[in-house]
Amino acid sequence: MDFNFAWAIPLLPIVGFLILVFGGKRLSKTAVNAAAILPLIGSFVVAALLTLKLSGLGASVPAVIGPDWISILSFRVPFELIIDPLSLTMALIVTGIGSLIFIYSTGYMSEEKDYSRFFSYLSLFVASMLILVLGNNLVLLFVGWEGVGLCSYLLIGFWYKDLANAKAANKAFIVNRIGDWGLTLGLFLLFAVLVSSHADIPDGRYFSYDTMLPAIQKALAANPTMANAIALLLFVGAAGKSAQFPLYFWLPDAMAGPTPVSALIHAATMVTSGVVLLNRVHVIFEFAPLASAIVCGIGAFTAVFAALIAFGQSDIKKVLAFSTVSQLGYMFIACGAGEYWAGMFHVTTHAFFKALLFLGAGAVIHAMSHNQDMRNYGKLSKYLKVTMATMWIATLAIAGVPGLSGYYSKEAILHAAFGSTHATVEGVQVGQIAGWIGLLTAGLTAWYMTRLMMLTFHGDKERWREIEAVHHDEHHEAVHSEPLALEPVEDPYGFYYPAPLEAPIEVHHDLDAHHTPKEVPASMLAPLVVLAVLSIGGGFLMAKDDAFEKWLYPSGLPVLHQSLEAADKLPVSTYAMGAAAAGLILGFLLYFRGLPAREGWDLSKWSPFRRGAANQFGFDQLATAAGVDGGRDLALGAWRGIDVWVVDGAVKGVSWLASTVGAVLGKLQTGYVRFYALVFVGGVICLLGYIVVVINQGVIR
Amino acid sequence: MGILSILILVPILGAIVLALLPADNQLARRVSFGFAGVAFALSLAVLAQFKSNTFHLQLQERFVWVADLGIRYHVGVDGLSIWLVVLTTLLTLISLAYGFYVNVRTKSFLALILVLEAAMLGSFLSLDLISFFTFFEATLIPMWLLVNNWGGEKRNAAANKFLIYTFGGSIFMLVGMVAISAQMHHLVNVSDYDLVDLQNVAAAGTLWKGNLQLETWVFWAFAIAFLVKTPAFPFHTWIADTYAEAPIVGPILSSAMVKLGTFGLLRFVLPLFPEVVQTQAPILMGLAVVSILYGAIVAAVQTDLRRLLAYSSLSHMGFILLGIFSLSFTGIVGGSYQQINHGVTTSALFLLVGFLFVRRGTTEFSALGGLKSQMPVFAALFLLSMLASVGLPGTNGFVGEFMALLGTFESGYAGQFGLNAGYAAAAGVGVILAAAYLLYMFQQIFYGPNANPLNLRLKDLKPWEVSVVSLLVVLILWGGLYPSTFTKPMEASAQAARLMAINPVGSRPVWGDPSLEIDVEGSQPDRGALVKVDEKREIGQPIKALSVVAPSNIRFVLDHQVSTATASASE
Repeated sequence: MDFNFAWAIPLLPIVGFLILVFGGKRLSKTAVNAAAILPLIGSFVVAALLTLKLSGLGASVPAVIGPDWISILSFRVPFELIIDPLSLTMALIVTGIGSLIFIYSTGYMSEEKDYSRFFSYLSLFVASMLILVLGNNLVLLFVGWEGVGLCSYLLIGFWYKDLANAKAANKAFIVNRIGDWGLTLGLFLLFAVLVSSHADIPDGRYFSYDTMLPAIQKALAANPTMANAIALLLFVGAAGKSAQFPLYFWLPDAMAGPTPVSALIHAATMVTSGVVLLNRVHVIFEFAPLASAIVCGIGAFTAVFAALIAFGQSDIKKVLAFSTVSQLGYMFIACGAGEYWAGMFHVTTHAFFKALLFLGAGAVIHAMSHNQDMRNYGKLSKYLKVTMATMWIATLAIAGVPGLSGYYSKEAILHAAFGSTHATVEGVQVGQIAGWIGLLTAGLTAWYMTRLMMLTFHGDKERWREIEAVHHDEHHEAVHSEPLALEPVEDPYGFYYPAPLEAPIEVHHDLDAHHTPKEVPASMLAPLVVLAVLSIGGGFLMAKDDAFEKWLYPSGLPVLHQSLEAADKLPVSTYAMGAAAAGLILGFLLYFRGLPAREGWDLSKWSPFRRGAANQFGFDQLATAAGVDGGRDLALGAWRGIDVWVVDGAVKGVSWLASTVGAVLGKLQTGYVRFYALVFVGGVICLLGYIVVVINQGVIR
Repeated sequence: MGILSILILVPILGAIVLALLPADNQLARRVSFGFAGVAFALSLAVLAQFKSNTFHLQLQERFVWVADLGIRYHVGVDGLSIWLVVLTTLLTLISLAYGFYVNVRTKSFLALILVLEAAMLGSFLSLDLISFFTFFEATLIPMWLLVNNWGGEKRNAAANKFLIYTFGGSIFMLVGMVAISAQMHHLVNVSDYDLVDLQNVAAAGTLWKGNLQLETWVFWAFAIAFLVKTPAFPFHTWIADTYAEAPIVGPILSSAMVKLGTFGLLRFVLPLFPEVVQTQAPILMGLAVVSILYGAIVAAVQTDLRRLLAYSSLSHMGFILLGIFSLSFTGIVGGSYQQINHGVTTSALFLLVGFLFVRRGTTEFSALGGLKSQMPVFAALFLLSMLASVGLPGTNGFVGEFMALLGTFESGYAGQFGLNAGYAAAAGVGVILAAAYLLYMFQQIFYGPNANPLNLRLKDLKPWEVSVVSLLVVLILWGGLYPSTFTKPMEASAQAARLMAINPVGSRPVWGDPSLEIDVEGSQPDRGALVKVDEKREIGQPIKALSVVAPSNIRFVLDHQVSTATASASE
């Protein structure tokens, strides 16, 4: 298969997107499913065939260059694709896991009114994500980067009638934009450094990996300060998209979107873009020990911080969200430590088990008629057997139980951290510290995940039987309860319907004695099973003979060579297994009887730690208050101070002045006009006079 | 008479015909559409004849207007103006389509739009200071009348504010023009307002004769007139009232008209004040950054859709200023390209707002909300136009802003013109804020429950409305996915404007000398350089560079009077 076929990978989902957009509600459900899923499977097949071909070649492939996108005298950005192990690995994850989640969504969203809109957003997301990973230059990466951000925004706000969802969507987009600010500045700095070092860039393709990376390597070797600056700016972008502290706080709110979206976008693919970026430009980070140490430190802090918060969450999706933030922190520990491949390894295995956890949680939520609070669950193992089994596999995988996929990637990361000499500032081995924090986090992860599983599937009673019946009237506001008094509207152009459109009333069954939870349909179970298989075997296969490392970095890192001797002295694997075991045992012992009172509905019984964890130790509130309320005060102050005060003040002053001067000047139209006229005439006279003087001086000289 | 003059005359003719017609709204609409359509077709014909590989002014027409005062009618087009001309004729057509919803004194309404079109085209095409000034001022009257007669409740105050601000600003420019003329008079003993002549002597360093103080004053006289028009902080307060009170065609046409501000800076200020542009650049860049940030944060607290978009215009125009005064090639191309993009995007947004306004009679957020399910097509078109304004990649707004910021960073990193990287970093915050206020806007209109009984009865857009907006949306995507269509014709002129401002005497491009060219075709190191070519080469023919111009020994081809006078002055 020719490598030009790679174009099909991002283009097929775009075709699907266009069909869904223009077909809209006219399409039947089957047609929507076909338009969304078939292109994606097509992309997967192409990506898989290209992967086979590439791994058979054993050599790098030149970029596939298409038509120009931006092309001016000073630089050129073509549409171009990079075919390498990194891009194909991500393409396989995106299309493969994407396909599974699409199939799952046909079941999960089957009662949704806006069915085609949902799948059109998802298709656009997949296309953007593929552009992000396959694009051969940083500007195309940015296209995908903002494109996935847009789709994330649209999907978080998918149920937009609830303003809370819309606000969560806004928050996600805006916080991501803060990261994008760093990313663009990083791009600019990269460009400026290349230009000022007179680097020889063929065709002016300043942003293309194949031309830029060798040149920047030369330029940065002589200029380590700039290496750190570029690396840090790019990391700001990565931290925004990959939810690292302090830009993590959009991700938990993003759980407002439908659960398949959380699985695909906010767990398996989009949020790992930051790790992909760092792998892509690792050469820059290899020259930047300071930036790498910061990456490593922030990753470690985020990992433990988010893990602690997870203990205070009762919403099943929120626990998983913080778990994702924490695991992303893990990936950045690896990247900061200089073992970029280990970060990608964890991206891959995490995509398996975290997607599985989210889809499993979705199945539970589906069965529990959209109730997400774990305090309402309990003993669901009786009803949701397959879901429970697959979710346990994922839990053991994320906990790091040997043999399952998570164990291998976590071990690789811890090994990298303990052995890192790269992430060292002023003699402080940040990598070592991150390694110990990572071990602690591993234990915490096993603990809170066991808590989630025990509260959901096990325990002594079925707490959902105690849910009070919700009155449906509350959902459908008074608008529909009484006929609207129709105001007569003058409507010469036919802008209005004669009567308001009836909103369809959604049928909504709550659980009671007659409606017990039911296992979800096969379309939702099949993806769970496939992901469970991957969660079991994926890690082992990829870790065997360092297969994954050799696939991603066949010739090793070009600049950075660090010995991992320090790590070899420590029994990292033993420690990791110990942490996992401790977490699992603690979780089991604390929760096997069900929901403890100290975590129940009465918040006053919660420990101060757990209450703190529940509201993210105040950080989210602080950031949001500073951003939203502080911003509004500042803006109102500026507006009132400058526009309103100056102008109003001018008007008031003018009317006073005008009434005084007015008598002298006679009858002009308004005092306002008069004053300005006066000022301008005066100003013109002064300026004219001045210019005459200056010119005369010139002549005399 | 050449095509450019015909282009300016057609709308005037249309306005006269409209005035003579009987009071029949339907007929008036058809006639105005016909004339504007012809003007649009003519602008496309100009575009078809336009040659991209030269910075020289094309399709020039010149004749004496007032001989005693040295005032000429001189028009011509180059890469900086070509797309603005097309934009103007296109937006006029779109404004006339909106005229379908104007039933009060329809005939005058449509006629005024045509007069405004002619005045704008004249301004974009004029190459004589006085004829430029005439057209520039002529834009005020129709706009003032449109706001004053068809506007909202506070239309009179808004119209007066608009008039006073812009008129007040341009008085300074008039003074500046008189000063330039006086300088020329000393040089050549006749008055001369012709931009080509003026630029020749300015490039030779003789216009200001080293009088930096005077040059600085006149520079600011011009700059203030254009900054008011743009608008830039702190000359911006007219825009919110005008946009909020004007009939919807006001902002739509204005999105072409405000480009006179930034275009004027490129056309007149960069070429005529080469010695001071560089020293004043940090101040103008500072104003641009303040405009971007101030416009954005103030937009975020508006409770009215039109006021929000007005402040967003202030913010977005800041990026154009930023690109231009970065004085880097990338920045100037980005700035001039962003002029077109902003025109397209803003008019798409205002057109949609107008369609909402004719239905609901208000653009206050408190009357809106939850419209997404009620009007899905409207919401989709609005979303796309808004995303272009946010600067999302794939839309035209991204390409323009990216280049403007990249150029700013480039100059700043190199420490040129007293700039530093902080300008780009601060301006970049404006991109974050743009997302904040525009998403807030979208949320206020489309998300949440739809509780207003009147809104619950709204139908979606009519097919003709959809097709008009779709035209602009296509341009948004075209500009975002294949910007070369728009940037290619700009490159030579943008590079020339830059070199006119930053090169030392002797190596500045000169409009009057056909043997100088900007090499847009050559091999990599020479691309964009000023080169010497065969003098007999006609505009548009392939460039064969004889040599790259070194910073000396350039012969200035002047108007015969000027050249003799320069010779005598230098003796």
